[in-house]
Amino acid sequence: MTHSTPKTEETPEIASTKTRRQLENLGCLATFVVGVIFLIGFIVLLPERPDGPRYGGAESEPHSGGTFVFQHESNVRTLDPHIAYDELSGMAIRLMFDGLLDYDFESNLVPSIATQMPTVSEDGKVFRFHLRQGVRFHPMPGLPEGRELVAEDVRYSMMRLMSKEVGSPGFPFYSAIEGAPAYHEGETDDVPGIVVIDDYTIEFRLTEPDQTFLNVMAMPFAYPIPRENVEAHGSEVKFHPVGVGPFRFEGWERGVQLTFTRNDHYFRDDRPRPDRMVFLENVTRELASLRFQNGDIDTIHRQSPSDYRFYRDSEAWAPYRVEFPRMSTFGIGMNCEMEPFTNRHIRRAIAFSLDRAGWSRARSGRMLEAGQILPPGMPGHDENLAEAQRFDLDIAREEMRLAGHPDGLDEPVPFWITGQDDTSRQYGELLQADLQQIGIEVDLEFVSFATYLEETGKPNTVPAFFTGWNLDFPDPSNFIDILFHQRAIHEQHSENRAFYRNDEMDAILDRARSMTDREARLDLYRQANAIIANDAPWAFTYYPLSMELWQPYVRGYAPHPVYSEDYRNLWLDLPRQRLARSLAGRGTGVPAAFFALPGWR
Amino acid sequence: MWAYIARRIFSASIVLTLAIFLVFILINEVGDPAASTLGPNAGPEAIADFKAKQGLDRPLMVQFASFLGVGRCVREASPAWSEDDSERGYCGLLQGDFGESFSHNEQVASVIGNRLPRTLLLGIVALVFELLLGLGVGIFAALRRNTLIDTGLMSAAYFGISLPTFVTGPIFLIVFCFLYGWFPLGGYGIDAADHLRHAILPGLTLAIIGAATYARVMRGELVEVLQSDFVRTARAKGLPASRVSMHAIRNALIPIVTMIGMSLPLLVGGAIITEKIFGWPGMGMLAIESIANLDSPVVMGVVVVFAVAVQIGNLIADIAVAALDPRVRLDASG
Repeated sequence: MTHSTPKTEETPEIASTKTRRQLENLGCLATFVVGVIFLIGFIVLLPERPDGPRYGGAESEPHSGGTFVFQHESNVRTLDPHIAYDELSGMAIRLMFDGLLDYDFESNLVPSIATQMPTVSEDGKVFRFHLRQGVRFHPMPGLPEGRELVAEDVRYSMMRLMSKEVGSPGFPFYSAIEGAPAYHEGETDDVPGIVVIDDYTIEFRLTEPDQTFLNVMAMPFAYPIPRENVEAHGSEVKFHPVGVGPFRFEGWERGVQLTFTRNDHYFRDDRPRPDRMVFLENVTRELASLRFQNGDIDTIHRQSPSDYRFYRDSEAWAPYRVEFPRMSTFGIGMNCEMEPFTNRHIRRAIAFSLDRAGWSRARSGRMLEAGQILPPGMPGHDENLAEAQRFDLDIAREEMRLAGHPDGLDEPVPFWITGQDDTSRQYGELLQADLQQIGIEVDLEFVSFATYLEETGKPNTVPAFFTGWNLDFPDPSNFIDILFHQRAIHEQHSENRAFYRNDEMDAILDRARSMTDREARLDLYRQANAIIANDAPWAFTYYPLSMELWQPYVRGYAPHPVYSEDYRNLWLDLPRQRLARSLAGRGTGVPAAFFALPGWR
Repeated sequence: MWAYIARRIFSASIVLTLAIFLVFILINEVGDPAASTLGPNAGPEAIADFKAKQGLDRPLMVQFASFLGVGRCVREASPAWSEDDSERGYCGLLQGDFGESFSHNEQVASVIGNRLPRTLLLGIVALVFELLLGLGVGIFAALRRNTLIDTGLMSAAYFGISLPTFVTGPIFLIVFCFLYGWFPLGGYGIDAADHLRHAILPGLTLAIIGAATYARVMRGELVEVLQSDFVRTARAKGLPASRVSMHAIRNALIPIVTMIGMSLPLLVGGAIITEKIFGWPGMGMLAIESIANLDSPVVMGVVVVFAVAVQIGNLIADIAVAALDPRVRLDASG
C-alpha cells in the first residue's frame, strides 16, 4: 500500500512528527508540573502526628468484655510451661496457667492453687501443700468440660518436668527434691521425694533444707498440666496448652498471633475480664509504637530511643505510662583469676572510675546508677550501703596507687562486649573514656552473645567483659549464690564468670540457704551484698529502666514486679474501645487527621 | 535438552553440597547453640543435657554426616530414632529430614513450611509490581526514546535504583499507613484478602528497585531491537507501527525472562530488611532470628531452600530462553 505513496507527501509527515514530538514534550512538562503540585499538596496536607492517645475512656466500674491486644518484637517459642524459659513464651504461659504459689504485687509469695502457704517441717526439708478444691482444667480432648485438678496432677507434672525425655531447662532448680537426680538420669522410675497424701495434699521432701524451694515452686516450670492432654497430643502438646489459668488457649498462627479466650471457671477471686486476648508476634518496636499511637495495640513495653523520648516528654501520655527498674543488674565482670584483676585494688579502681551519671545521660536516662548487685526492689537491696560502688575519681586513683600502679597500667586490657549495635558501641566508648582517667587503656573486643556465654564460662579465658543478670525469682540467692558462689565455678559453663572465690562469703551463703527466719536470712544476704560491692568482682554499672504505656481505656493494669508483661488482671473500658477498633481497624481509608480532632480525645 | 538438564542437576548438587558444608561449619563454629538456646540463666547440667540430646557433643564432621543423613540418627525427635541402638535408622537431609529447630521446638520443615507461603505471597506481589511498573515504563520510554519523557522516566528509574528499602519502607509506613491510614500498619493479617492488603505496601517497597532495573534493561533492549534489520525491513514493508512494536517487544523480552528466573531465589529467600520493617513474618525474618539465636537446624534449612531456589531459578531461566530463542541450543557443547 505505502510503496506507491507519492514523494510529495513526505514533507507533511515529517512536519506532523515534529508537532507530535512538541506536543508530547509539552504534555510531559504539564504532567511533571501537575505531579509536583500534587506532591506539594500531599506534603502540605499531611496529617499531623498525634501527640497523645486517640481514644479516651470513661470512669466506670470494672466490667467484663472487649479484646485486649498486645505484642512482642520476637516470636513465642513454646506453650509448654515445662520447656519455656524465655520472657516471651512466659507472657503467653502466664495467661493460661497457674501454680501452687504465686507472687503478689510486692514480690511476696502468696498461695494460688494452694489454700495457704505450705507447712514446713522442723528441719526445713519437708514442704506440705494443701490444694484448693474445685480448681478446673480448661477443656481438653475427651474432656469437653475440663476436670478438677488433684494432687496427682501436680506429681505428674513435676515428674514430667524432671524427665530427661522432656529435657526441661528448669530441672536444675528442682534437683534438691529427694530422688530427682536419679530419676532424671533414668536410673529409677519414681521420685520418692514427691508424695501424694490425698487428692488435695501433696508433700515434697528435699535432700537439704532450702528456703528458695518456695520460690522455685512458684516458677512457671512447676505449673501443673493434665496427663490426658499430654497423652492426647504427644510431642505436639506445646501447641495445645491446657492449664487452670484465667484464659484458655484459642489458636496460634505461628509467627503472627496467639489468641486466648476468658476462662469463666477461673478459681481465683481476681477474675479475668476481657473476652479475648490477642498476642501479636514479630511486631518491631518502631511498628508497635506507630500502631499503639494509632489505637490498634493496647499496650507497649519496649521503645526505640526516639520513641522513648517522645513518650517520656509527652504530657498527654503521662497518666498512662510507668517507668520502673527491671529486676536485672548490669556491670563489668572481671576475672579474679587473671591479671591484672587478681589485684583487688585494680578492680575497685575500675568500680570507682565509672561515671555512671554520664552513662545514664548518654542513654537518655533509661537506667538507674548501680552500686551493688541487688537491684532496688529486691529483698536485701540496701539503700544506704556504705560499701556501694560509685563514681569518685579520688578513690579510684587512690586504689590505683594501692595496687602499685599510680600512673596506670602499661598494657591495654581486653574487655569483651557483646553485639555490634550502637548501644554496645556507646557503652564501650564510655568505658574507654572513664578508664582513661585512671590510666587504663581499654581494648574492646566485640563478640556474639553465644561466644560470650561459651568463653566467659571457662577459667582463665576472658579477663573482663560486659555482663548482666535477670532474675529467675525474687530472692537474693538468685543473684548472689548463682553469680558469686564457688559452687558456680566449673571447667565449662561457669555461672560465676568472674571466678570470684571467697570462702568467708560462701559460708554466709550456705548458712542463709537453709534459714527459715526470713529477716535473719535477709541479714546474711545484706552482708554478702556488701562483701561483693567491696571486693568488686563486678564493677556495677546500671539497673535498666523499663517504660510501659497503655491506652486510656485499659484499666487496672500495673507492671508486675516478677513477671514481665503480666496482663491477667486488667479490664477494658468497653464502648470506647469498640469504637477505637472499628474506626482505626486495619486500613479503613479514613485519614488519621480525622481521628486527631479534639472531639475524639 | 535432557542431557543438558541432567548435567545442570549434577553440577548443582556439587554446588549445593559445598554451600551446605560451608554454612554448617560457619554456624557451628561461631558459638554454642546450647548456651544461646537455653539463655544466660541456664545451668551447666541443662547445657550438657541439651548437647547430648541434640548430638552436639560429637565431633563436627560426625555432626555434618548425621545432618546429611549418612550417620546414625541421634535426634530423639526424628522418626528414625529408637531407644535400641541397633534399630536406629538414618535421619538427615538425604532422608528429607531437616531436623528439629532448637528455638521453635518444632520440625524445621514445619517452621519453613509455615513461613515459605508468606514470603512467596510477598515475593509474587512484588514481582507483579516490578513487571507492571518496570516493563511499562521501559517500553514507554523506548518507544519515545530521546524525548523529554524518555529522559524523565529514565532519571526516575535511576532515582528508584538508588533508593534502598530501608529508606522507602519507613517513609511509606509513616505516610500511607500511620498518617493517612490507607493501608494496614504492618503485620500479616488474618485471612486471604487481609494478607493481600497487608502485602501491598511491602510489595511496593520491594518492587521499586526491581522495577527501576527492569525499566532500564527493557528500554535498552527495546531501543536496540528497534534499530535492528528486521524492524527496519518490517517498517519498510509498511507494517503498522503498533505491529512493529509488538514484534520488537517480544524480542526484547528475552533478557527479561532471564532476569525473572534469576529473581526466583529472592522470592523464596525473602527480603530481610523489608520483612523486618513491615513486620512480615516470612523467611527473611526467620533467617535473621535463627542466625541470632544460633538455631543451626533452621539456618541450614533456610540455606538449603535458598540454594535450591538459586539453582532452579537459573535452570528455568536457561530453559525458558532456549524455548523462546531458537538461536540458543542447550545441547551444543559448552
